[in-house]
Formats: sequence, structure tokens, C-alpha cells
Amino acid sequence: MFGLRLTKRETPLPGGQILAFAMGLLVALLIGAVLLVVADHSPLAIYTKMADAAFGSPQAWSTTLNQAVPLGLAGLAVAVAGSMGLWNIGAEGQIIAGAIAGTWVARIGPDLAGPVLIPLMIIAAVFGGAVLALGPALARAHLGVNEIITTLMLNEVAIRMVRYLVNGPWKDPTSIGFPVAPELPEQSALPTLFERANIGVLIAAAVLLVFGYFAARSKWGFELRVAGSSEKAAEYVGISLKRKVLTVLVLSGAIAGMVGGLRLGSSDRIVEGIAEGWGFAGIIVAAIALMRPSGVAAVAIAFGALRVGGVAIKGQGVPASIAEILQALVLLGALGAAVFTTYRLDRTSASSNASEGAVA
Amino acid sequence: MRSDVFLTERRGEHREPAHTTSTGPDRPSGVENIVTAVELDGIWKRFPGVIANAGASLTVAPGSVHAVLGENGAGKTTLMNVLAGVYRPDEGTVRLDDVEQSFSKPADAIAAGVGMVYQEFRLIPTFTVTENVVLGSAPAVLSKSALETEVGELAERFGLQTNPGREVWQLSMGERQRVEILKALWRDARVLILDEPTAVLTPDEAAELGRITAAMAGEGRSIIFISHKLDEVKTFCDEATVLRGGKTVASSLSVDDLDAGRMAELMVGEATAVSQRRVRTNPIGEHVLAVDDMVVHDVHGRAVVAGVSLTVAEGEIVGIAGVAGNGQRPLADAIAGLTPASQGRVSIGSTDLTKLNPRSRNANGLAYVPEDRIGVGLAPRMNAVDNAILRTYRSLGDGPFIDRSAAEDRATDLIERYNIKVGRVDQPLAGLSGGNLQRLLVGRELDDNPIALIAAQPTRGLDVQGVKAIQEIIVDQAVDGVGVLLISEDLEELFALSDRLLVMHEGSVVAEFDPDTATRAEVGAAMAGAGAH
Amino acid sequence: MITFLSDIGVLLSDTGMWKNLIEFGILLFLAALGEVIAEKSGVLNLGVEGMMAVGAMTGYWAGIQTGSPWAAIIIAAVAVALFATLHGVVSVVLGADQVVSGLALTILGLGLAAFLGTDLVSQAPGAKFDDLSLGALSELPGVGPTLFSMDAMGWVALFFGALTWFVINRTRAGLNLRAVGESAATADAAGTPVVGTRLIAVAIGGAFAGLAGAYLTLKITPSWNESIVGGLGWIAVALVIFGAWRPGRVLIGALLFGGLIAVGPRFQTRRCNGDEITNCITTEINPILVSMLPYLLTILVLVVLSIRSRNRPSVAPAAIGQAYRREER
Repeated sequence: MFGLRLTKRETPLPGGQILAFAMGLLVALLIGAVLLVVADHSPLAIYTKMADAAFGSPQAWSTTLNQAVPLGLAGLAVAVAGSMGLWNIGAEGQIIAGAIAGTWVARIGPDLAGPVLIPLMIIAAVFGGAVLALGPALARAHLGVNEIITTLMLNEVAIRMVRYLVNGPWKDPTSIGFPVAPELPEQSALPTLFERANIGVLIAAAVLLVFGYFAARSKWGFELRVAGSSEKAAEYVGISLKRKVLTVLVLSGAIAGMVGGLRLGSSDRIVEGIAEGWGFAGIIVAAIALMRPSGVAAVAIAFGALRVGGVAIKGQGVPASIAEILQALVLLGALGAAVFTTYRLDRTSASSNASEGAVA
Repeated sequence: MRSDVFLTERRGEHREPAHTTSTGPDRPSGVENIVTAVELDGIWKRFPGVIANAGASLTVAPGSVHAVLGENGAGKTTLMNVLAGVYRPDEGTVRLDDVEQSFSKPADAIAAGVGMVYQEFRLIPTFTVTENVVLGSAPAVLSKSALETEVGELAERFGLQTNPGREVWQLSMGERQRVEILKALWRDARVLILDEPTAVLTPDEAAELGRITAAMAGEGRSIIFISHKLDEVKTFCDEATVLRGGKTVASSLSVDDLDAGRMAELMVGEATAVSQRRVRTNPIGEHVLAVDDMVVHDVHGRAVVAGVSLTVAEGEIVGIAGVAGNGQRPLADAIAGLTPASQGRVSIGSTDLTKLNPRSRNANGLAYVPEDRIGVGLAPRMNAVDNAILRTYRSLGDGPFIDRSAAEDRATDLIERYNIKVGRVDQPLAGLSGGNLQRLLVGRELDDNPIALIAAQPTRGLDVQGVKAIQEIIVDQAVDGVGVLLISEDLEELFALSDRLLVMHEGSVVAEFDPDTATRAEVGAAMAGAGAH
Repeated sequence: MITFLSDIGVLLSDTGMWKNLIEFGILLFLAALGEVIAEKSGVLNLGVEGMMAVGAMTGYWAGIQTGSPWAAIIIAAVAVALFATLHGVVSVVLGADQVVSGLALTILGLGLAAFLGTDLVSQAPGAKFDDLSLGALSELPGVGPTLFSMDAMGWVALFFGALTWFVINRTRAGLNLRAVGESAATADAAGTPVVGTRLIAVAIGGAFAGLAGAYLTLKITPSWNESIVGGLGWIAVALVIFGAWRPGRVLIGALLFGGLIAVGPRFQTRRCNGDEITNCITTEINPILVSMLPYLLTILVLVVLSIRSRNRPSVAPAAIGQAYRREER
């Protein structure tokens, strides 16, 4: 009909995913430029401003890295599950669960010293995220319940849970007007690393490194990849799929929960929007990084920069939502472009037979 | 109301007596002049590395049931796929009712009146019988009851027992097959191809199928019946064409002239020749692998392995012959522990494996080369190093980590010893050829010095050198004392390699032969269920 | 207990509650109906939340531009159908993962609606759906001021629901749609165009999400801000599962979930019907906790469906999430 046809390449295009990401970025920036022109702005000026805000100075870098922390960890959370072919769409809710658990620790031990309180809050957050992921994990492992929908639904439950707490049991009695939770103890703030970056950057980098190494080198990571490659091959070598599904989804929730804990360390208090869409952004990050921890870090920094740039141009009268738009467009562009790393566009004659190629 | 009008139109199409062949502009009008319903002439079809059809031909008379016989790999299915429009032949012509055809897709063949019932049914489980039958040629508005009545009437006309309103997942295999046949009849197929139709049927259902094909032939339709089984060919069919090595070796024989010996001779070559057997260099020792009264049920509750007992001795190669789908695959999977057995014991040496998982069975010295190389034996998205250590990664390196350099050494060692050609060891396996994949798989399975080896279809789909390399490895293992259970559909291979030859039919071992004295005809007859023993 | 029962009585006699229930029911039904159509063809579209945001913004803008709620809602439907086609092209034509592509559509839709609707936040609505009086029917006690006074979109939604059921179950187009969603290879072998059918289904699904979004800003709120959809799209996704992919059950679910949305705030504070002090709700239930119920109920239903489908095929279309390319057959 179109005279064109997708044919599978014998070997995937080398470096294809980087190419796809670049193409996605290009497509996104072009469409973004159109939007900006429509909104009566100069795309070049805006993009320059965004790049400057993200990378123009050490301070800019520190802000970008701060944003890259939740993106990278949420991306890792999704990637852990994704490397086994599972989808954790619930990172957003698990971040919230982590933040709730962390806040709970701060509420019962407000006088603990920072070096004690902060680790406790982060540990609690990790547990919080894991607990929210436990239900979907059990349902998937033992009943075969699709984890996409269960994790997705729990996002909305978690959002309402934090709303309930902030409006009810955890409402600051001294607050006037809009209900807010009381401020976290001062010593719960994460210490500064440089400029605006806090040690969350180090923690996230360490988690990514350790996990990346563990996934690549450990027997556990190996089994994960076998199961992700072929369930039958995993059974053939005696890997228990049920246990793998359970541990992987809970671990994924735990990593996402840690994001919530780290966010508390750079916030005054828990708020309804504490997750800020990081869980969903993490899915984009993981998808572009092809579920590889090493790729996650790089994509997280790129997307962190987009977010910083988006905030910076607010003053120019450009809505910050341009950052979300660009992120989604990068993903869609990369998804589309990725097809051409495994497929080739061929011209076809009208009579060619598409179903050939297998000996019956 | 609208639907009724439409249905009347459709009904008109069906109810015309089939043999007047007034539909379709490309059919000549006078049916008496037509001598052939189907004529395939000089069909060549090549695939990368394989010539599936090398000038094959087939002539089918109108109103006849025509058997197409041949071993696995003889080119039957390819030839039928050419007729069904799935493949375009490289050379050769396809004629229906003396009119030359050029199919570019299955829909073209369907429109020209060719229906094919594949071994793996193409039905939608959650659709009713009627919905499956009319899919692709349904009226714009569906009146459920009117359509069900109509499908029911069509079924009744050919004696096909079915319930038009039932969903397909609730049906037995035999009923599902009848739905497939109904699909073809709904499209008014003049030629119906049945690909090994009795493989999934009970004997009663098979007999029923015979009556149905006879009814269809009685209306002037032609049925092409692919089979291995002599008795049903003799019962159901009028004529037979035999393929071997992609060529037609006998065409349109009367089934009355066919007996077990003649059929096997045509299918596998000279009746008495014994091929080059391997020369035994060591005496056969103690039993290393024993299977006792094993029963395996499939998801439908059929006993696909129905009480098999066998032993393999040290240094012995026991061959299992049989037509595909007679229980060889579940037997191998159950011995390896991948499929649960409902009954029976498996032991290796003096160790009882019955209650062990696949990993422990392997650790006790049982190696398994499964039929599905990619996806079971090998993980396709992982690289050669990862696949090389798939069995042994737990012992490579201390604690939680895998010693990558040891893993790479192991992979390099395998690659060198078994002459595996890989571009780069860190690339996914997807790009490797079948022969290289199989050498990697076989090499890995043998790397841990197993006591016994199950090799299922180890040379299927490989080129000549690939076959030779794998066969040499298997013989070397036997010489080294490994007990080998060799499951194959290639009789040449079984005769050349086996010390003893068992034949499986419908889930049971029905015969045992000494390859030095047995003829292919005897073995072929047992495979066809002729009850030679 | 007695006070709670009397509270239920107060609630059931609250015409405002019933009107809210019906309006949210209409909205959820329209959005979920679209998702049923897309999923029946085998395409999961997690972009509903974003599509509804685009529909809400476009409808509000078009209402101001045209002054007609009908013109506005049609413009919104067409715009979102085009927007949904983006998901169709990426996931159906190019074969990218449906989950990722759909989520990207949600993020993009929320972003685009916020970006393009910045100036709309402060603007008054230009058009609005009014309640539709059916004469004597609207005078009936109980159902008169509620069901028989709903706006015309309510009747449109019911019509579309019946039409969708009819097309899916009683036409060739519906048979093809279901076949493509159950087994693309089987449908393809029978001559049904897989890619075309799926693209159309996704676009129609988008149009319905557009109707739902525009209904929000042309009737329920009626105003625009960027967080206005606030999870309604996810409820629509949940409803498809809750209703087991059947329009009739989805309607029941939409009314149930719409009811939870309507009831929630009414247990929050002392609410009285009229001035009479005896006609008040005394039980306090936190509305936020009530608003969790649709999601939790959906998880429950999903678990039950999974357990039930152990001995029979799942009610979910079997090919959901699977891209199809003929050469891979």
C-alpha cells in the first residue's frame, strides 16, 4: 500500500539507542520550538536560557543534580522490574509511601540528632515503598494478577493517603488557611554537598553504582536477566520465577520509596505533591535507558536539566509545563526512533509476500 | 430486518450445489471437462540454507481424498503452504480446475477456494463456534441466532457435530478441528488441506473425520490429507502422493496398491539398505539412566506419555523414533524435570531423581539438549558468555558474585573446543546460525561431564556440516561412557547412531529394534502404528 | 447505627447528590467507553488522564470561542482523537511498548493542556450544558429532578453506550475489532486489517476521552485549571477492568464510582437538606478516604477476575499490550 515496509535487521544497529535518544531529543526540541513560537517566544532564547540554568555554572549543575537524584532512583526502580519484563507503574505512589513513612519517623523522634534521624527516615522510606509494592508483588507472583494495573491504582490511593494525613491527623494546628503538615525538624535536612546540591546526590550515585555493579556481576542479577530473556530458559536452569517476581517488585518499590525519604531531606515538610511526577518520569527514564542502570544515570541528568530549565523560564512568562512536554516528546520520539534500530525501512513491490521467511 | 435480507443472500451462496462451481469467474463452467482439481507442477521453494521443495508436483482429482505422505522435512508442509498462498514458489505453477493461479497472500487462496486446516488451530478461544466460522466473511450486521442456525445447518449437511453457540475454549481438540473445517466450508472451499489432522484426535474422532471427508468428497470437493499413518490413509483416502527430499517420488498411487513395506520404502528410501553404523569401541556397561512407568498428562488431561519404561546403559545410545507429537517431547521434558509427571520414576545411576527439580537433576549428572534451542536451552537476549555459564554460574566465583574472567575463560574454552563461530562474545545470541547455537548448547551441556544425556532433535534444521559435527560429539560422548537418549525424527540418524532403537506411538513405546538387523520398512511401519510387534 | 441509617435517608433524598452522581457517572462512562473500544482492539491506552486534560482545555477554549457547548465538545472530541492517534502511531504502527507510549501521552497531555491553557484559567466559561427539562417527566417525584432533568450529554452518553454495545457484539466491525484484540495473527489470516482497525479504535477511544474532558469543563466545574482532571482518567482506566470490558457493566461501575465521588464530601461536615435541623447528616466519614475506594475496588475486582480465569480464558482481550507484525508469524 505505502510501498514501504519494516524489515527486521539481522543485527540491531550498533549504538542504536543513543541515536534514538538523540533523535527523540531533536524531535522534542523542534516541536517545543513550534509551541514556543505559537506562544510568542523565541525558541533559541528560551532554550539558551534553559541550558544556562541547567549547566551554566556550578550552581546550575548542583540544581540539575538535585533533580537528577529522584529521576535516577525512580528510573532505577522501574528498570529493576523492567529488566525482568515487569512494569512498576507505581513508583509515584511508592515515593509518597516512602515520604509518609519517613515523616512518621520524624514525628516520633523529632529530637534525634541528624546523623541518626536522617538514616532512620531513609530506612523507613525504603520500607514504606516496599510495603506499597508488596501487595501487587504477591498478587502477581501467586495469582498472576497484572502488576501494571495494581501498581497504577495504588498511586491514586497513596496520593489520597497523603492528602488525608495532611488535611487530618497530621494537620499543623497552628497553620492558618490551607492545611499543611508541621515542619520537619531542622536536623532532618540533608547536609549540603556543594552549592545547592545535597548529599542525596552521593546517596543516589552510590545506589546506582552498587546496584548497577550488582545487577551486572552477581548471580542474582544474572538470574534476573535469564528470567527477563526467557521464562522457559529460567525454568530449564531451575530459577524460581515466583520468588524472583516477588523480590524484584518489592525491591523496585523499596528503591522508589527511598526517593520519598530523600525528598524529605530537602523539603520543609511533607506536602500532597511530594512525588511531583517523579515516579512517572522514572518510567520514561527507564524506558529510554532500556532498563539499564548505567543508562538511567545519564538520562536522569538530561531530564533533570530539562526540569531545571523549565523552572528557570517561568520568569519569562513561559509555563514550566514545557519541561513535561519536552520530556514526553523525547520519549515518544525515542520510542518511534528505536523501531529503526531493530527494523529497516524497505521499499516493497506491491506483490511481495510478507509472510515468507520461515521454513514450515 | 436488514440482517435477514443479507443472510438470505449469503444463504443463497452456500446452498447452491457445490459441484456446479458457478461461483468465481476464473472457473470454467462445464465441470465434466475438468480432470484435475489441483495441479502443482515443478514447485521449487528455497529457504536460506534449505531447499524445501525441489520440483515437487501433485495432482488431485475432483471429488477425491488424496493422501500426501512423507517423512518430516520431506517438504509436505511447504508444498501445502504454496497451495494455500502462504509461500510463493520460486518456480513452478499452481492450477486449480485447470486455471493457473498466482497467490500473493493466504486471502487470495481462500478466495480461489482453497482452505487449509493447520495442525495448530487458528481459532479465537473466547469466540463462539459461529463467530470463529464467520470471521473474515461475516455480514455487516450479525443476527446471532440466524447465523448460529445457518452454521448449524452447514455443519449438519456434512455431518459435523458441533454446537454453534459454544465458546471454542470449551471444546475438545476434535471439536475445534471441526470448527476449522467449518470455516473452510463457510468460505465454500473447493479444496481442503488437512495437515496431519488425526494427530490430535482420539480414534473415534478420527473415524468421524473419515466420514466427514467422504461427505465433502461426495459433493465434488477435493481433500488433501497429510498423514504418516498407513491404516488411516488406506481407510480414508483414494490416492496417495509421496514426497521425499522435496521431490515427488510417487504420484497418485491408488491406496489399494499400498502396504506398509511399500509405503515405508517410498518414504525413507531403499527398503533394506543399512547405512554406515558407528563402530562400537567399548562394551556397554551398567544402566546409568532408568525411566520406570512414566505417565505425563497435558493441559487437557490427555495422557501424552502413557506408561513409558526404558533404560540407557553406560556408553549406550538409545534412539527414540516416532512421528512428531507422539509423546517424545513431554517424555524428554518430564525426564529432565521441566514437565511434571503424573506417575513413574526417574533415576540416574543409583540416585532417584523423581522428586528433584531440574537444577538438582542436572547437578546429579543429567544433561538435556531440549528441542527448542532458543528460548529454552539458550536465553536469546543474552550473550555467548552468559549462555555458556547458564548451568554453572552458581559455582563460578565466591559469594554473591560471578567471576567474570572465569566465565569468559569457560566461554572461550567452549568456543574453541566446539568450533563455535561467534562475532563477539558480548553480543546477544540472536545473530548466530543454528549450527553454532547448537554446538554452544550441546557443548555447554556436556561441559560438566554428565552421566547421561538427553538429546531431543539435536540436528533438526542444521546444514550438513552442522549435523555431522553434532553427531560426532554425541558419538564421542558415548565412547567416553555417557549414556545417551537420542530423540529424533530422522531415521537415517537413528540407524547410524543408535545401539538400540525404540519406537514411540501415541505416548507408548510400541516396538524395539536392533538397528543392525532391522529394516527401515519395519521401523516405519511401527511409527505408523501398524503394530509390527 | 440508627443515626447512620437516618443519614443514608438524608443522603438518598438529597437531589444535589443525585445530580452529582449522574454527572460524574456520565463523565466516567464516556471516558471508560472509549478505553473499552481501544482495549477491545488490543491496545492499552494509559493516556486517558492526559487525553481528558487536553479535551477539557480544548472544550473550554472552544466554548469561549464559539459560545456553543455542542460545537465546543465536538471540537474537543476531534482534537483528542488526533492526539490519541499519536499513541496509535507510536505503539501500533511502530510497535513501541503500549504502556510506555500511553504514559507518555498522559504526561504530554497534562503538559500541553497546562501550557496551552495558561490564559484560560482566569477566563469565564463561554458555553455550558444546561439541564434538560423533559416536561412532565421532569416533574415526577424522585427521578424527575434528577435523571429526567440531566443535560443532553447524559442522553448522548447512553446512546453511545448502547451503540458501542451493538457495534461490538452485533456487527461485522465489532467482530473484527474483537478478533484483532484477541489474536491479531488469526484476524490477519482471516483478512481483517490489524493495524487499521487498531488505529481507528484508538482514535475513537480518544474522541470519547475528549467528550469526557470537555464535559468536565462545560458542565461539571465549569472552569479550567491544569489539575482539574485530578485522577478521573485513572478511574476511567480502572472502570474498564471493573466492568470487565462490557459497556453495560461499565455503566453500572461508572454510576457506582460517580456515586462515591458525589457522596464523599457529603459526610464531611454537618450537611442539612433545607433548613430543617432534623434533616441533617451526623456521621462523619472522611471524603478523602472514600475517594480511595474506586481504586481499591478495582484492585479487588482484578484479583477476583484473575482467580476466576484460572480455569477459563481471561475476560481481558488476549492481545492487549502485544504489537503485531505479520512477518513474525
